[in-house]
Order: sequence, then C-alpha cells, then structure tokens
Amino acid sequence: MNVEITGLTRRFGRTTAVAGVDLCAGPGVFGLLGPNGAGKTSLLRMMATAIPPTSGRLRLLGRDPLSYAPRREVRRRLGYLPQNLGYYRGFTVAQFVEYFALLKEMPAGRIPLAVAAAVDRVGLCDRSGARLRTLSGGMLRRVGIAQAIVNEPELLLLDEPTAGLDPEQRVAFRALLRDLGQNATIVVSTHLVEDVGAACAQVALMDRGKIVFHGTPDELTARGAEHGTGDAPLERGYSAVLAAARP
Amino acid sequence: MTATRAPARPVPATRRPGLAPARLLGLELRHNAMLWMMPVAAALFWFTAGRKTLASPPLWNLRVAVMQPNAVLAFASPVAGAAAWMGSRESRRRTTDLVNITARPRPARLLITWAATTCWALVAYLACVAVVYGVTARQATWGAPLWWPAVVAAASLAALAALGFAAGTLVPSRFTAPLAAIVAFFALGLSTQLINGSQSYWLISPVVAGPWDLGPNPEVGTFYAYLPDLPMAQVIFLAGLTAAVLGALALPTGSGIRTLRRSAAAVTTAGLLVAGTAVVLAGTGRLDAHGMIAIPALHDAASDRPLRYTPVCGHTAIPICLNPAYASYLPATEAALAPVLGQVAGLPGAPARISQAAATYQQGPGNSVGIGMAGSPIGGTHPVFHFLLPVQLAGPVLTTSEMASQLRSATGPGILASVTGDGPGASKAQHAVTTALLMAAGVVPPGAPTAGNNVPPPAAGAGGERYAAPAPGSPAYAAAQRFAALPAAVRRGWLTQHLGALRAGRIGLRQLP
Repeated sequence: MNVEITGLTRRFGRTTAVAGVDLCAGPGVFGLLGPNGAGKTSLLRMMATAIPPTSGRLRLLGRDPLSYAPRREVRRRLGYLPQNLGYYRGFTVAQFVEYFALLKEMPAGRIPLAVAAAVDRVGLCDRSGARLRTLSGGMLRRVGIAQAIVNEPELLLLDEPTAGLDPEQRVAFRALLRDLGQNATIVVSTHLVEDVGAACAQVALMDRGKIVFHGTPDELTARGAEHGTGDAPLERGYSAVLAAARP
Repeated sequence: MTATRAPARPVPATRRPGLAPARLLGLELRHNAMLWMMPVAAALFWFTAGRKTLASPPLWNLRVAVMQPNAVLAFASPVAGAAAWMGSRESRRRTTDLVNITARPRPARLLITWAATTCWALVAYLACVAVVYGVTARQATWGAPLWWPAVVAAASLAALAALGFAAGTLVPSRFTAPLAAIVAFFALGLSTQLINGSQSYWLISPVVAGPWDLGPNPEVGTFYAYLPDLPMAQVIFLAGLTAAVLGALALPTGSGIRTLRRSAAAVTTAGLLVAGTAVVLAGTGRLDAHGMIAIPALHDAASDRPLRYTPVCGHTAIPICLNPAYASYLPATEAALAPVLGQVAGLPGAPARISQAAATYQQGPGNSVGIGMAGSPIGGTHPVFHFLLPVQLAGPVLTTSEMASQLRSATGPGILASVTGDGPGASKAQHAVTTALLMAAGVVPPGAPTAGNNVPPPAAGAGGERYAAPAPGSPAYAAAQRFAALPAAVRRGWLTQHLGALRAGRIGLRQLP
C-alpha cells in the first residue's frame, strides 16, 4: 500500500478538520469526495507532508513522513496540486515546471526531457514559452498539473484538479489520470462526482472530518439506487450516503 | 492533455542541463526583483555618490572615502527593498505549500533566492565602482586604487540583502519591501549620529570611511600607508551579521532536519559572536597621527612607516615640491607662492626648497580633531621649509583659487618669517620687514589693517597660522610701508647686507631704510 492512514486527526485550534481517518490506497486512482468543509483538503495536505497530523499514523510509500529523511524521500516521489495554485507571474510555463523539478531534486540531466514531457502531457507544449501571467485559469491549472507530474510521482495528490478546465480538457485529464494510475497512487480530491465515476477505481466520501463511505464507484452508485437525490446515479449515491451519515 | 507518453521535444528554456543549484540560481537570477531595481540603484548612485565622488579632487583616498558611505546609502533602499520583496514572494504568491513539500530543504531554497538578489546588487554596484575607479585611474597622478572601502560597501550590500530578505520572509506582506527600504536608509543614515570621537562602537557602521570627525581626508594613504584596520573590522562585522541573519532563516521548525537546524543555530551564534567582536574591535580604535583609525588587534606596524615617493617639484625661484598625489595642485601652489618666494630667493638663510609635509592628527574632546605639522617648519643644512596645503586640512573641499588664496595668506608669511626670524619674541623691526615683504609680494595690501583680510581666513596648522600685521599708524607699520616702497633691488641689497643683524635682533625700526 502506498498510502496507509490510521486514526489520522488534524485540529486547527478548536476546529477538528480531520477526525480519526483510516484509509489505505494502492496503485490506481483514488477519489476523495465530500462537501465543502468536509476535511478533504486538510487530509490531502497531511498526505502531501505540508502539515503534520495532530495525532494518528501516516505512512506514505512505505515510509514515515514524520521523520526527516523518510519525509525527504517521500517528497522526491510526490506530486501535489493544491486547491489554490500559487505561481510566479514572470516565469514561463517551462521555467515554472523546471523550477519544481529542481526543487524535487530530480537528477539534473533528466530535467529537460521530463519538463518537456510534463508540459506536453498537459497539452501546453505550444505555450511552454508563455509567461504564466498571460495564461487563462484553465491553462494555469494545467501548469499546476504539469509541475505535479514532472517527477513521475509514485504518489500524486490532486486537489480539485479539474476546476477551471473545459469539458474537452476534463476528458483528456481523466485519460491522463488513468494512464498515470497504472503505476502510481493518485488521490483526487473533488466534489465533481462525474470525475470520480470516470477515472477512479476506489472512492472515499468524507463528511465533517470522517470517512463515511469507502468502496468502488459502483458501490457508491448502488447506495443511491432507492433514496438518493440527484441527476446522475453517482450523485444519488453521494447524496444518499451523506444523508445517512448525518443525524 | 495526452494519456500516452509521446516523445516530447525539449523546450528551449531547459536545453542545458547543469548542476541543480546552479540552474535554480539561474532561474532566480532571471526572475529577481533586484534586476528591475538595478537602474534605480545605479541612478541613485550616480546622483548621490558618483557625481560627488568624481567632483572631488582626483586623489584615490579622497574619492574612495567619498564613495563608500554614499554608495552604501544609495544602494541601501533598493537592495533591502528588493530582497524583502523576494523574501516575501512565496507567501505573497501563495506558493508556500507547493514549495515546502519539495525535497530540497527550505534553507537551501531561500539561500539561492538571496544569492540571486545579492548577485544583481553586486553587479550593479561593481559596475558603478568600475566607472568611478576607471575615471579616477585616468585622472589621479599618483597612488594605487584603495580596495578596502569598495569591499566594505560590497559586504554591506550582502548584509542589507540578508536583512531585507529575512524581513520579507518573517513578515511576508506587500508592505514589508517599502518599509525595509525606508528603514535601511534611515538606520544607516542615523547610525553616524551616535559617533563620539575616534573610540566609538558606531564606527562599525559601513557608512563610516574613516575618522568620522575628519570626513573624507585626502591626507590618508599619501604620506603613510592606508590603514585597513577599520574596513577590516567593518567587513568582519558585516560578514558576521550576514551569516547570523541567513542562519536564522533556517531556525524555524519545518526548515529541515534537527541537525540542519542545529547547524543553523551554530552559524547564527557564530555570526553574532563575530559581529559582536568586530563591534568591540571598532570600539578600541583610535585616531592615529596620520589621520586614520588604528585598531590595535588588527594593526600591522609595518603600515606606520612613511611611504616612499619622489616629489614633484616646480620651477619657482625657490623650488616647491609636493607629494605626487597632489601634483595637480602644483601650478596653483607655484602661482600663489611665487611672489613671496621672489622676495627672499637667494638671501642668506632663505630656504633652498619649499616642501609639502605630512599633517599630524590628534583627537580632541568629543569629535574635535587637532591637525598640525610635526616639528619645526624649517630645518636642515640646506634649509627646507615644510608646509601643509590647505586641502590637507579638515574642512570643505576647496576650489583651486580658494586653496591658492589660503596658501598665499597662510604659508607666505611663514616662509618670509623663517627668513627674517620673525615670530614670538621677535623685534618690531623683524616684524616690520616681514610685513613689508608681504606688502611687496601683494599678500598684504599697503594700508590694510591686518594681513589677509581680503582673502578667506587661512586654516590653522603649521605654516597656516593667521599672520597679524602691525596696527596701521604704528611706527612698525609706517616702517613696513616705507621699506615696501623701496625699489626691489634696494630692498634686496639692504637685506643681503643686514639680514644677519636683523635676525639677531640688533636692528631697530629707525635703522630700517
């Protein structure tokens, strides 16, 4: 298992964002669903080693990220796209991706081809020399994805990756996810259930800091067969699980 | 977006693989705020330091002493501001999470950004210094470039960049950069206000290029070797400060492994100790006799030996010889003193040469400094009259005509008095003859109540004491007027015959023709 989480909790002051989450994920695309404020981003940030857990056990790629040396090893093999992508306006697409390749301590000799490949995979090859300040929101999102995958990560964490992408790009992105998921563990946090249905083999649904469902998209769909509300089968499963989890 | 891994062509920006830190530095250099501030810094340098420096006489010591503090002040705001802007970049651009989860340790990342900022600051500064040094090299008549002041200013830029960068990192706001720029300027500007005498800890400020009370002093490094004691202490201080600040950036939790943070703590502590030691060293400095700050712990006694030089001499009736550093003043000096020298040239006891001497300095109370000349102005078998050029004395920079005017009224009487034996305890006849010769040379216009009233008052110092002519209407003044009115040949003839008796005090006023 590339991700092993046991009783993971994260508090911000009096607020408990993540409350004793247990989760395991191997290679493949793992969808993390949940309403706003469910704790998805906090869980993803802990998995990205951006913030430490308040309590609980977290193992990533077979290592304990709370210790420095294993954490550094994990970070070399990690890709992360935050919900709000920050970027340096003066950098070009290629420079931005190269910058992160260098920060991820990729072997210097491999970087040029890796950057070119990452930029190509997100469909920005013809804009690689464009400054980030000139790009649209969707393009910036793709730049964020490029920097996340430049090191061919074994663990890829994507927080709302399809936000801002047009339908065509979204379809292409799902194909990219499926391709990447053949070798790596990809955790996709989203509230767009169709992304999960199209690309994810496993899905977890979070609500108020807890995992309230863990299974396949088909199992989630089945939950909504009778009681759920929504236009699509997966949406009905989503709403049914949430309704059942709430008092 | 493509799911298959099609063979990708390398993008232009990444064709040349190299060492990762060097590539990171390259990227940071291309996107550094200091790059945009370079023209601002260069313009500030030119208007505050460059013009002032190049307007001062072409003496290496004088120009670098003018340049150092002004260059530091000119660069302080742009460098501190740009560094603070770069330090706050991750927070401002909301990339903190993104960069913090990468494998490269945070201190290494920050260090590279700081290094890029410092690089551009130094490039701009060195370009400005190259212009000043290049022009001075073409204009200076003697001496070699003094590098220490330039090194102090360069070290200041690294320290300012570190301080600004730390401010930006610790207080990441868009207001930090302008605030850092303002604080840096005023902190440096005000740091000199607390200097009191030569033994002051505040001499460590990089805007101090020498004894603060003297200001830029052309005397430094001309007769005696330039003392690098104070610049050395300043560079040590700035290096320690830079190390301490950069080390402190790696202290926060999350900066890396505990060992790394311990190393950072050690660097910070060592930096603070080094900086503190340098401050203490600066406090032990004293004004030496040659107008420089000597710090005993850093002092090299070999620097106390006079410099060897071949003086440049003129062609007046009595040759005037100057230190080659002051060669540009020789024509004005000759023009100022030639009428005086013509009065006594060839007379028994007249000096064989007029030679520029080194000034001596003595710290007075507070920030006052006494400047004079060691020993008697005249001496030797073939008497040599020693004098100071007014430009050797502390005070505002003089124009050539101002200097000539002061020289005529201050040194002229001294030369004549050395021939007539005038001075404290001299007879009225000696005083009258001196005054008469000054009148004849045009230094004291006949009828003037005191000598030199129509010229700016001469500065104090050997050969520079204000000469007081006899009061108008007094017998001595009348005798002086009478003697001055004689034809030059008659005057010279009388002096040739009676100079010995006059010097011995055996001639009274009535015996003067």
